[in-house]
Amino acid sequence: MKTWNAPTGQESQPAAPGSGVATALRFDGITHRYGAHLALDHLDLEVACGETLALLGPNGAGKSTTIAVFLGLLRPQAGTVEVLGTTPRKAVAQGRVGAMLQTGSGSGLPPGVRVDATLRLVRRLYREPAPFDVTVERAGIGPLLGRQTHRLSGGQAQRVRFAIAIAGDPELVFLDEPTAAMDVQGRRAFWRMIRQFADEGRTIVVATHHLQEADRIADRVVVVNHGQVVANGPGATLKAAVAARRVRFSCDHPDERQLDELEGVTDVEVQGRCVTLNSLDADATVRAIMRRSISFCDLEVTGAGLEEAFVELTGRGRLADDRCEP
Amino acid sequence: MSELLAFGRFEVGRLLRSWKFLIITVGFPVIFYMLFLGDRRAGRVVDGTVPWRVYLMVSMCSFGALVAALTAGGARLSTERASGWARQLRLTPLPAWAYVAIKVTAIMLVILPVLVLVEIVGTTFGGVSLGASTWVELTALLWVTALPFAVLGVFIGFMVHAETAFPVVTALMFVLGYFGGLFNPVSSMPRALRDAAHVLPSFHDAALGLGLLDGRGLDVAHWLVLAGYAAILGLAIIVKHRIEEARGLS
Repeated sequence: MKTWNAPTGQESQPAAPGSGVATALRFDGITHRYGAHLALDHLDLEVACGETLALLGPNGAGKSTTIAVFLGLLRPQAGTVEVLGTTPRKAVAQGRVGAMLQTGSGSGLPPGVRVDATLRLVRRLYREPAPFDVTVERAGIGPLLGRQTHRLSGGQAQRVRFAIAIAGDPELVFLDEPTAAMDVQGRRAFWRMIRQFADEGRTIVVATHHLQEADRIADRVVVVNHGQVVANGPGATLKAAVAARRVRFSCDHPDERQLDELEGVTDVEVQGRCVTLNSLDADATVRAIMRRSISFCDLEVTGAGLEEAFVELTGRGRLADDRCEP
Repeated sequence: MSELLAFGRFEVGRLLRSWKFLIITVGFPVIFYMLFLGDRRAGRVVDGTVPWRVYLMVSMCSFGALVAALTAGGARLSTERASGWARQLRLTPLPAWAYVAIKVTAIMLVILPVLVLVEIVGTTFGGVSLGASTWVELTALLWVTALPFAVLGVFIGFMVHAETAFPVVTALMFVLGYFGGLFNPVSSMPRALRDAAHVLPSFHDAALGLGLLDGRGLDVAHWLVLAGYAAILGLAIIVKHRIEEARGLS
């Protein structure tokens, strides 16, 4: 599972291409515990200005907690956090940060008021907001302006909340599962919108548990689980990792060095008679096994839907933990 | 400063557009007033100094302010905080203190017309006649002293879960109303209840209004209790905010 950790994706360096790019966000050993539950476990993270980062992980992995700390909604119990060169609270007070968070059962909008009035109010709270019409255009909420906030569908409310998040013309935007209430088409349109907004040079952090969405939108994907960074790299690396297959079989006296030299193999795990290979080209690997007359039984090639790779990355198991009969 | 005005206007506008809010805040004190007007004690004198009709109007003013404050804050605010909107505002440059201050101010602003409305009922149906300057003084006094109610409304919104806020608010309205002597003069209650009333802000609020009208003046003890309530509840809101900040507002 460590195979797709990109060589450039070290947490100590901003991953954006080109040096001299300023850092927008920095986590240094952030730890936070809710009672007995360790939500963030010495998490280090760095995001460059202008970068679009996807925080990927299952529910409860620590994505929302990470965002809450970056926004100053939560004071972590240990570690330091820096946002746009200052503290989270100051960055928010300066109006440089926007966010669209998960709202649970609520809509996240004030009831009993029209969409346009809500957006106008939010604009007034910033010193240099984006022009009203520009925000409406960016979020595509023109037809919703005259509606009451409590009469919006889930997807419509999400769009309005996106408009509110960007009304202050922020440099940095956090989106926590932003497409949760949307259908497939709504999702696609929404990501196009966010892509355009990101292309204006803003820093964007998206938390999601949809691998495809993360891959499509982000310059870099950070996989988080149990409050730690599990994997970190650009989308292309992620895709390569996802293309990988697992080849499993049993054989007498497996030779680890020999197996490692087989075509396509990136990782070898041997436990007794049980062999698990990670391969970028399962066909070539199996042909190579045959060619070398390695006697095997119970051959099994698995893997590699996107979701499965994701499960693997965040799952508890090491490579050969499960389903391997001796 | 202009953002505070904008937020204040937004909040008052939302309150005035809410039918539920208007019906409860206007309906409760006016209907109660009308019911009590038919009371057989009408024409009597309360505490040897205040005509029953004057006592009733001042009490209903206090009750109206209490109902308005608890309805405007209370469950409404609690639901709003649970919905994620309050958290969204925390992500704007609006300071946290301003959010609380505007909430209290908006409640104070909607209390004023409630007081005037009850007073109008007082002059038209309640048989109360006062000089113009006394009307102004009484209104100003009852308005200023409604501050602890407004803070109480916000306090409930911060402390109580959205699901339980409504029954809590309803209970508070009647506990503070009845035991504070707004439906029945405290002097007509048993000794234990009379002592208990002195703990409640509603009692002191009405007592100041009555003190103004019966010439006994404004006892400083009443002011102290009311100020104490406003301060302690306000402090509790600040502490709650701090705790949420450390634990994370879900």
